[in-house]
Amino acid sequence: MIVVNTETIPGLRIVATKGLVQGNTVRAKHLGRDIAASFKNIVGGELKAYTELLTEARREAVKRMIDQAEQLQANAVVNVRFSTSAVTAGAAELYAYGTAVVVESQGEPGGGA
Amino acid sequence: MDGLFELIMVGGLLLVGWLAGSTAERNHLRSLKSREAALAHMLVTDLRSFPGLAGGGKTPTLIVGEVVIATDYLKTFLTGLKKLVGGELRSYLSLVERARREALLRVLEEAHRQGYTAVGNIRLDSADVGGVAKGRGAAMVTLIASGTAYHAAP
Repeated sequence: MIVVNTETIPGLRIVATKGLVQGNTVRAKHLGRDIAASFKNIVGGELKAYTELLTEARREAVKRMIDQAEQLQANAVVNVRFSTSAVTAGAAELYAYGTAVVVESQGEPGGGA
Repeated sequence: MDGLFELIMVGGLLLVGWLAGSTAERNHLRSLKSREAALAHMLVTDLRSFPGLAGGGKTPTLIVGEVVIATDYLKTFLTGLKKLVGGELRSYLSLVERARREALLRVLEEAHRQGYTAVGNIRLDSADVGGVAKGRGAAMVTLIASGTAYHAAP
């Protein structure tokens, strides 16, 4: 599955558009992470546990989006966007969406754009 | 007596925040600078037209990088004071800037690791993981950078 956040894929031609596909996940951080975060708020610096949480959530959302695209018999997702919303304190939704398409080789690569 | 104890507590936290916070910030800025210099050869744009595209490379792919950075106690305290008079919050400005540079760097590093030489259509979004916007928890900045890595001619 080819996934890009551009509307086209260089070297490949879009032959069919299957429509919008999306994936989301709502994740909460657990108490241990919360306590570690409140310490970090004294000394500053990266909250690695939160970064990991976000990375996991993003991977899951993208995976669900790709699953939908596969069901539509697409082989690529273009123009992927991410969006987040704070559902409640300590939990966040990560939402990934894009357009599922069928692409095929253009022959000579590099002619896209 | 209680008041004195509280004063010492706050003073101690401010001191720890100042020492640890400024060290963390200085180290981070130094790390950003050297990592950015190492990847200066990559072509980075927010264009969707794949400038400089070279054929024969790998299929372009989406790359995402994220980071969450917390402020320190001193900055939170000073910001509280600054909020009385309003104006630009310079201590938070550097926080946001560091988060943005870090998230973008993670995208570039991953693209470089996978053998790409350019990243186009860069998008930078901020998120609210801790529920900060609802007034819960201390300030932290969450940045999500995404882009499409491709192969460009040198």
